This record gives sequence, structure tokens and C-alpha cells, in this order.
Amino acid sequence: MKKISFTLNGELRQVDVAPNEILLEVLRYKIGVKSPKCGCDTGDCGACTVILNGKAVRSCLIFAIEINGQEIVTLEGLSKDGLTPLQKALLDRNAFQCGYCAPGMILSATCLMSGNPHPSEEEIKESIAGNLCRCTGYQPVIDAISEVTKKH
Amino acid sequence: MEELKFVGHPAVRIDGKEKVTGAAVYTDDLEFGPDLLYAEIVEGPHAHAMIRAIDASEAMKVPGVICVVTGKDFPYNFGLYMKDRFIFAQDRVRFFGEQIAAVVARTPQAAKKAARLVQVNYSPLPKVVSPLEALREGADLIHPDLKHYEHVPWFFPKPDTNIAHHRKVRKGNVEQGFAEADYILEDTYEVPRYAHCAIEYHAAVAKYDHSGRLTVWASSQSPHTQRNLFAIALAPLGIRHNDVRVIAPHVGGGFGSKAGVTMEIIAAAIATKVKGHPVKVLWNREREFYNTYQRLGVVAKLKIGVKSDGRITALHHSLFWDAGAYVEYGANVVNAVGLSAIGPYRVDNASIDSYCIYTNLPPGGPYRGFGYSEFLFGLESHMERMAKHLGIDPVEMRRRNAIRAGDITAYGAKMNPNGLHQAIDAVAKEIKWHETPSPSGPDMAIGKGFSLFWKAPAMPPNTSSSCFLKFNEDASINLLVSGMDLGQGFLTVMAQIAAEILSVPISKIRTENPDTDRNPYEWQTVASHVTWGCGNAVKRAALDAREQIFSLAARTHDVPKDLLYLEDEVVKCKRRPGFALPLKDFVIHGIQMEDGTFKGGPIMGRGVFMPEYASTKADPETSQGGHPNVHYTVGAAAAIIEIDKQTGRVQVKKVVEAVDCGKAINPSLVKGQITGGILQGISTVLYEEMKFDHRGKMLNPNFTDYKIPTALDIPDEVIPLIIEVPEPDGPYGARGMGEHTMLPVAPMIANAIEDALGIRMKSMPITAEKICLAMTGLKKQQEK
Amino acid sequence: MAIPFEFGYEKPATIADALHLLDKWGRNARILAGGTDLANELKQGFRVPELLVDIKGLDALEKIKVLDDALHIGALVTFDMVRNSQLVRDHAYILYEAAGLVASSGVRNRATVVGNICSAVACMDSAAPLLVHDAVVHTASLEGEREVPVQDWFVDNRKTLVGEKEMVSHVSIPLPKIKHAGAYQKMMRYTGEDLAAANVGVLLMEDGACRVAFGSVGPIPRRSPEIELFFEKNGVNARHIDQAKDMIGGIISPITDVRATKEYRMHMTKVMFVRAMHAAVERLKKQKI
Ligand SMILES: Cc1cc2nc3c(=O)[nH]c(=O)nc-3n(C[C@@H](O)[C@@H](O)[C@H](O)COP(=O)(O)OP(=O)(O)OC[C@H]3O[C@@H](n4cnc5c(N)ncnc54)[C@H](O)[C@@H]3O)c2cc1C
Ligand code: FES
Ligand code: FES
Repeated sequence: MKKISFTLNGELRQVDVAPNEILLEVLRYKIGVKSPKCGCDTGDCGACTVILNGKAVRSCLIFAIEINGQEIVTLEGLSKDGLTPLQKALLDRNAFQCGYCAPGMILSATCLMSGNPHPSEEEIKESIAGNLCRCTGYQPVIDAISEVTKKH
Repeated sequence: MEELKFVGHPAVRIDGKEKVTGAAVYTDDLEFGPDLLYAEIVEGPHAHAMIRAIDASEAMKVPGVICVVTGKDFPYNFGLYMKDRFIFAQDRVRFFGEQIAAVVARTPQAAKKAARLVQVNYSPLPKVVSPLEALREGADLIHPDLKHYEHVPWFFPKPDTNIAHHRKVRKGNVEQGFAEADYILEDTYEVPRYAHCAIEYHAAVAKYDHSGRLTVWASSQSPHTQRNLFAIALAPLGIRHNDVRVIAPHVGGGFGSKAGVTMEIIAAAIATKVKGHPVKVLWNREREFYNTYQRLGVVAKLKIGVKSDGRITALHHSLFWDAGAYVEYGANVVNAVGLSAIGPYRVDNASIDSYCIYTNLPPGGPYRGFGYSEFLFGLESHMERMAKHLGIDPVEMRRRNAIRAGDITAYGAKMNPNGLHQAIDAVAKEIKWHETPSPSGPDMAIGKGFSLFWKAPAMPPNTSSSCFLKFNEDASINLLVSGMDLGQGFLTVMAQIAAEILSVPISKIRTENPDTDRNPYEWQTVASHVTWGCGNAVKRAALDAREQIFSLAARTHDVPKDLLYLEDEVVKCKRRPGFALPLKDFVIHGIQMEDGTFKGGPIMGRGVFMPEYASTKADPETSQGGHPNVHYTVGAAAAIIEIDKQTGRVQVKKVVEAVDCGKAINPSLVKGQITGGILQGISTVLYEEMKFDHRGKMLNPNFTDYKIPTALDIPDEVIPLIIEVPEPDGPYGARGMGEHTMLPVAPMIANAIEDALGIRMKSMPITAEKICLAMTGLKKQQEK
Repeated sequence: MAIPFEFGYEKPATIADALHLLDKWGRNARILAGGTDLANELKQGFRVPELLVDIKGLDALEKIKVLDDALHIGALVTFDMVRNSQLVRDHAYILYEAAGLVASSGVRNRATVVGNICSAVACMDSAAPLLVHDAVVHTASLEGEREVPVQDWFVDNRKTLVGEKEMVSHVSIPLPKIKHAGAYQKMMRYTGEDLAAANVGVLLMEDGACRVAFGSVGPIPRRSPEIELFFEKNGVNARHIDQAKDMIGGIISPITDVRATKEYRMHMTKVMFVRAMHAAVERLKKQKI
């Protein structure tokens, strides 16, 4: 076990981890942050997406010990001060169904928008192409992202 | 009719905010404290084998291991419609990856480590991996005990064969019908197995406490059915129904996979061996593929005779279903299709044989569409081919045969009111059926395809739904139902119905996924029946509450009850403009009289719905006589696709789909079902493909090689159309439509491919590879 | 999710420290870069080491730069960095093009180019671009540094020439001295992320030289001297591209697996080859320098 410290949603956290512990596992079961989900455990589905140092990554492919000294944002962090315009647009459009893909999808789109405030439809699709959703057919999610990126 | 304030409006989902903020809690998000144990499954590496011995001694030595359980600990059969299933394999393994044992440990690491150390000795048996093989004379029997299994009365197993059920339908005079035909087309279509691919895995946590109470938290479409099956299976341990409590948090997608009972019973059973501890069983993506239900595969032989004007004179449909190792649920898919395999057409002379066949592949079970996608692939391909042969426009051909209200179904009951003809016309118009779009380049081919669909809920005739409605002090409401919101928006729709009747805004109605102790009975959230069935129960509960409100107002204020109405949470009177009794003033505390006494008390509505006209009692040789299906939901769809002739890649340019949901209680959610269902349908026809090796092992149980579409793989345009021909016994006329949206997609795409290339694909999936090989002739007779 | 195997972890701060660790632990250590392959392998219990050596503390390796007439791609350069690098676009456009087709953004943000060629899974996307650019793999160990032409680097599926105590510091791509243009084609089951069932990279030089590489149609990706020679002799034009296409049948021998049949792989390799060649010809016409 090694003590690591990192910033999680703006708060400094310390936790003991073994080298074989995966970040997703530690976030969910040791720290109790549950919005990152597991949908494949192989990097294919994007449900476990978190923002690491400003980039969307798959927490199922990262060893927790690697994030010592780094900065992580999950959907809990994004939602702290009320809904972002993107969350609001997704809500208003009933964009999600079961919602299991939502945390990953929202974080991927948020990362896109922070680097590229006015993405094209293709760029929007590309940014969430690693987030599998079995329910929605994606179009309502794409429409919501388009709506907020056109407005702002 | 009065204007509707809540029903028919695109209300925002009541669980929407939870879902966009990450607050929504799914089963594996629940906390169970440090005493939680973890179970890891030991799987069998044979498709068919006898278990000789299990040695867990090495596994028990791993620090942290509490116990190892095997089939011997739970010698119980269970199953929804037929008790052919076991909690762990008993003496025989019937599919590759079947659960043999489980290791329970303090940490998931220890459980996994130990599971690898459990030694199992097998003697392999010959295996049967295709339904036609399983039917052969002398084929090995997968269930030698078939004759002893309990099953519902509408199943007809054939003992000492691999046929678990044969649904036989005979209507009219088929021979004569074919004799009258001007043209007969006969062919075989193949639809393989598919996986649901809900993004959330199955998960279950169970606790059997020292008082004998069994609580199970599960990602489930069927909390009450689970309670029932757990109680029945575990009855030998002294467990009764009221000892079992099933709690269902949010579900991360179901599509049928989480209906009935699969892995949840493992958690429930293990809990009884580790009394006092919660124990978690978490599936993984691989097991999601090979050890839950899979959609059944089918080989369908179809023969249709038509007059030269396109009218159908006779139909014969034989369906050979690859139902897998256990068919306790899947056999009802076979049954449902048997009853409905004429499709949404008027067919006077029909014979259908639908065979449920055991194979040594994973258990087949419910999957969005419940068998209808599978037979519609052949049927709607056939219709298109026959139209082309006769020189009739395929849409016109369908119009001429499309079923109408009052027509007689294959089993002799009357077809319900429906908007099939409206749907056909609306789709043909929107897709501009008579225009021919041009391809975008010389290597491209463009094509159009059409398809109809229908589907009835497949459920026991006594399927019921119920609702409790409780007012709170501020006139907010707790609406207790036991249908599950799997993402389709069920809870929102229920709230809209209650809101409509009680004039309480949706934001003041709390309705959540159920806890079987708290919420009243619901059969299961399957069959697209809950908007209709549970919607009726909610409506009745709300009417019951309203009746109590009006009675109380009438007797305390001396107003005639029939003049009262509700508006904006206030009781008003049609004749006394000034009369206003705000609900919040009395729904809990009652109404105070002049003498200081109070009348009334908490208002609580109760509603129950069971379709009392349904019956499965019919002649087994013809299926005539009963009323097995309550109603059908129908619709039509069309697509324009473009194909790269060099690579075989298909791009779907436009899809139009019209579905007659009777009444769209929430049009936004209805459209969501259409958009999502179309993509799921596209995925099954173009991308998804399960591969098994010679051992019966699935080779691609992962998203790396079982491809479900990404945001880059969607149609360029999807146009959802809503048709509303009310269902006489539906709430506000509504009937279900959730599964249906994917039904027309596969044949519609196959038809468009033929339109574009002149190549008829008769087996799914129709991947780019298959199209390309068929086109280039690289693999002749790709279809064989 | 839980990994039932144990191992240690070190994150050296300098290259020297890293090399000492590798020297000490040898085959019992594995280098951790982006981890996108490694994490999956360790979950499956595949080649579980005693020690993970996380090289992400070695900032010097996180650079894309031009040095001595070569484009250097450090061991920590991710596919995302490649996508955002003007240097790569200018000098090795085909690597940029291929990088955009690797997995999805969430993986590209971690996965490194060097990790890709160290994993050396037959379907990797970076190999064909590096092959046609005559890239060189630079390794380091306590014994010194080595330069291995990428053409020799791949030994078998998942096997390279890296030594037990070695790490790759970077790959270098010699800057072509004359006008050139490349194109990359990847055979995928759909538009969304997929591992290549086959891939083709071509690089066309102003002087008529042409380099061609095929991937995922054998245990290792390879250049095609046969086709390159054919173009050298005959020049590149539409007819010759078509003739070269017909040679492919004798050059590659794809297999049937879960992703595609050998027939389709062969057919698609030909289609992709023709498309890549035509794209490269068009791009070369538009090139300024
Ligand atoms: C969902 C998913 C999709 C993918 N899709 C694609 C795709 O489309 N195309 C594609 O090409 N790849 C794909 N990959 C694989 C790709 O992500 C990896 O090959 C990646 O490039 C490896 O880099 P890494 O930094 O993650 O390496 P790691 O996983 O850290 O390491 C990979 C291997 O290389 C070794 N290694 C790493 N760095 C060095 C070094 N400097 N010196 C010596 N050895 C080293 C490691 O020990 C390990 O054996 C995919 C992976 C996933 C999970
Ligand atoms: S759980 Fe990490 S990508 Fe699926
Ligand atoms: S909403 Fe269910 S997976 Fe996306």
C-alpha cells in the first residue's frame, strides 16, 4: 500500500492504494465517488470516463497509483454549482434514457467544449464516439451538445 | 374531450436531473459497509459435459475466502415458464461458461484468486450447437429429464427429444389457399443470436439476516417476479414470499436481459449460506454476453401464396429456434412468434409451426422485440420479393394485405383498432417513396426499403399491475408502482397520468423504482405492457383517490359530487364559482366541521389492472379458441441507404418510422424510443455478430469485437412519426411501443440493399463484408 | 475489475533511474506508459511482472521535436499529442492521419505511439506510417543506446527487438528532403472505433519513389519491396496503381479470424491500396514544398 494524494473535484484527497488497484475501483469503492461507471473494463465503452488534468480518460485503464499529485474531475465535480448549460440542454431534451452512459458522455463532451467551444457536428460525434450508449441512438445527445455550442 | 394538461405533453423526465448530474444510483453504487462479501463464479469450460468432481480445497486456503458453494448446495429447479434451470449446474454442464460453483470471500481479489483454484473434473459429452442438428434422429439429449419439468399449461414439450415446446397454429384451409395462389414463394431465412448489450452489467447483492429475512438488491426488470421465483426456489429452506424483499435501484438498460431471473438467484442462494452478511455478485462484460439471456437464433422456412393482385391466399411458416441450454423464458418467445408469425396481414389460411429447440449454447431469452424482429426479417423480405415479382409496388402490396381492426388473427381472435394504414401512408409520404434519390458517386449505389411491423405483449393471461397512490400534507403525491424505469421513461409517464387526473403538477409527484415490500404487485417490466397495464392501474388509483376527495368534499360542503372537478390542486364546483377547496388543506388531515370534528383522513388511492378477457386456453393442435394476446401495436418504416460498392459499407441516409402507440402520453419519450430502437435495429442487421468456436465458446464476448454502434455510426436523419388510434382499454388510449421501434429495421435494410444492388441477403447480419463478398462473387453462395 | 495479481510500482524521476530499475529487474519489470494495453493485459493475468516501471515522470520523453533532420517522437507522446502537432502534420502527415483513427479520444489521450509499437499487436495503427517513413526506434539501457530501423523492429505478433533491460526512448522519422505525400487507410467494421482488420500506408515522393506498407494481414506489418520496385521501374499512374493492386495477392497472406475472413481482408487491402495511392497522388499535387 502506498499513500497517494490528488485533487478530486477541487478537493485534496489522500488514499492508500496497492499498485494493482485500478483508478475506477478506487474512486468507486474506496472514495465513494460513484458517477464513473463500469461498462466493459477494457477501455471500449467510456462509462468510466473521468477528466484527468483536463483530458477525458478511461479510469478503468489507469492504475490508481499513477494519479499521485494529479487532478481529477468527475461528474460530481461538474454538478457542484448547479447544472451546466450542457446538462440543462440534455435534461430539457430528455436526451438520456437509462442514464448509465451519461456521466462519461457529459465529461467527454465537456472536454471537447473546453478546447473547442464551437465544434462541428462531426467533431461532436467524434468526441463522444468512445462513449457507448445502447438506449438513445445518440442523436438527442448530439442535438443537445450542438444546441449549447451554437448558443455560446 | 377536455383538454389534457399533462398527458400528451413532452414532459421532462422525472429522473432526468439525477441522470445528468451523476446522482442516479444503480445497484453497484449502493453501499453495504465493511461486512460485504464478494462472490466469484467458477465457469465450466465445456458446452456439454458431466461434472465428475469438484475440489475446492486449494481455493479454501486463500486468505479471506469464506466458503465455496456448488450445485450440491442448491439442488433446486427454477424457471419462469418452465422449471428447467438450476442455480448452479447440477451433474451436467449445458453451455460453455455455465456457472459451476462460486467462491465467497472478503475481497473481490481473494474471490477471484480462489476461483481460479477450484478444480473441476468433467467428462465431456457430444454437444449440439445448431437447432437442426438437435432435431436429428439420435441427437444427444440435452435435458433427459424434460418430461419431469413443471411448465405453464400452454407449453407442449416433446419428452425424449430436444424439443421443449411446439406452438402449432392452423387457420383456414392452407392447401386450398396455396392451390388458389397465382404465385408462391418459398425460402429460408436465418437470424442468428444477438446480445442485449445494456451498458450496465447485471448486479445483485443479497442478504439473508439472522431473522430469516432475505433482501436482494438487483438491477432488474422484474422485482416481483424475482421475489416470486426466489421464494419458490428457496422454499425448501423455509423461505416464504413475505420473507423475501427485492429492491430495484436505477437500471442501466435492460432490453430484456434483466427480465425474469438469471444471475440474481445466485446472490440470493449464496446469501442463505453466509447468514448475516450481504454478498455481492457482479457480472462482467464477458458474462453479460454468454451467461445471461441471448436473443434466440432462428431458421425460418416461409412459404406464401398470393393472387396476381398481391393478395395473400395462404402462408406457412416453420420456425426452428435455437433456444439454448435452458428455455424457461425463451420458450415463450417461441410461443409468441408461433401465434403471430403471419405478421400484420390479413391471412385467411395459415399454418405456423414454431419449435423451441434445446442446444448447447447460452440460454436464449427475452430480447427487445421478443422474437418478432426475427420472423419479420423473413416475412418482410418475402413481401418485398413477391411484390417485385408481381410487378406491384411493395408499399401498395402491403397496403392490400395490411390487417385492419376486426380482421381475424392466426389464432382466431379479432384484431384491435389500429393505425397501420395511416402509418404506411405517412411513412411513404415522408420518405418520398416514389422518388429515386441518386447516389453520391460512381462507386456508390443507393436503395430504398420498406417494412411493416406488429407486436403484441407476450404475457400470461393473468398478468397484472397495481398502484398505491398516497397524498402528503402539501398535496404532493407518492405514487407507488412496481413497473421499472429501464430508461424508457415509465415513471414519468405514470406521473403524467396521475397528474392529469388529480391536477397535481408532475414536479409534486414522486415515483421511484420499486421495493417489493413497499410497492404493490407488478408482473414484470417486459412486453412493452407497462404504459398500458400499469398506466391503467395508476389511472384507477388516481380515480379512486379523486372519488374519495369528491365524496369528502360533497359530504362536508353539501355540494353535489358530480359537479365537482379538480383544477390546479383545488377542488372546484361547476355551479359554484367561488367554491374552492385546496387539496393541501385536507388530503391528510381531513376537513373540519363546524362542531370541531374532522371528517376524512389521508387520501390513498388503489388501482389494479388485469386484462380479464385474456386466455391461453386453446386447442393445442390449432391454437384456436383462446385470446392469448391483448392487442397488437403496429407501424411502418422506410429507409434510404447508400452502399459503397467496393467495400460493401452501408450508410443509412434517412429512416422514417411511424408507430401507432394509441396515445403518446409523452411524445418526447416516444420519439426517444424510436431513435434508439432504430439504431439498435440497424446495429443487429449491419454490425453485430456473435462468433462461436467449435467448442461452443463465444469468441467475441466484448465490445472490441462485438460491435455496437457509436455516435459515428448513426443514420444521417431519423424522422419519428406518431400515429394515434386509441386502444379501447388503454389509459387515454395508449398502448406500448418501446420494443417495437427496432422491429422493422432489419428487413427494411435488407430490402434497401436489394433495391440498391439487386442482391437478396437472407441471413443476418448483413455486414459490409457479406455484402462485399456477395457482390464480388468472392464467396459464392454466401447465403448457403 | 479487481486484479487478483500482485506487483510493485516505481516511478523513476530520471532516465538513469529508470534504466537502473530495468537493469535490476530485467524481465520481471514492465514499463508502464499510457497503460492502455498494459492494464488490460494485467487484468487478464497476461505477463504479470513483479514491478511496474511508470515512465511518466520522465518529462524529456514527452516531446515532439525536430532534431538533426529528423522528427523525434518521445516515448510519452500520445496519439492525442500527435493529432495536435503541427510538426507531425507537416512532416509525417500519414502518422497524423493514422492517429486520428486510433481508438477514441479517451484512449488517445493516454495511449502512446511508442507503447503502440512496443505492444506490437499486429493490428496497430502506427506501424504502417512509421514503416513508410523509414523511422528508427531508439532504445536505451545501462549498456548504451541502440538505433533499430523500424523495418527490423517487429519480430512477431507482440514481439519486438527490445531487450530485457531496455526501454525505447523515442522514434525518429527522417525528414524527407523532397516534396512527398502519404495516405493511410484502415479497414474497420464501421466508422466508430475499431481495431484494423487490415491497413495500408503509402508514401509518395516527388521523384517518383513510392513506399508501401501493409498491416494486420500477417503477424507483423511489412513494407512491400515488390510494389515499390514496380513503381520505381514503371512510375506511378492510374494504370500502374491498378497493376500494382493485382500484385497484392502474391504479397500478403491474410488469415480468417473473428474480425474478417481472409477473402475480405485481401479484397479490402486492394481497395484501400488503390484509394491510398490515389489520395497520395492528389495530395502530392497540392503540396507546396
Ligand atoms: C479500447 C481500446 C482501443 C484501441 N484501439 C486501437 C486502435 O484503433 N489502433 C491501435 O493501434 N491501437 C489501439 N489500441 C491499443 C493502443 O491503445 C495501444 O497499443 C497503445 O498505443 C499503447 O500505448 P500505451 O502508452 O498505452 O502503452 P502501455 O500499455 O503503457 O504499454 C504497452 C506495452 O509497451 C511496453 N512499453 C511501453 N512504453 C515502452 C517503452 N518506452 N519502452 C519499452 N517498452 C514500452 C509496455 O511494457 C507494454 O508491454 C486500443 C486500446 C484500447 C484499450
Ligand atoms: S469501463 Fe472503462 S471504458 Fe468501459
Ligand atoms: S442512456 Fe442508456 S446507455 Fe446511454
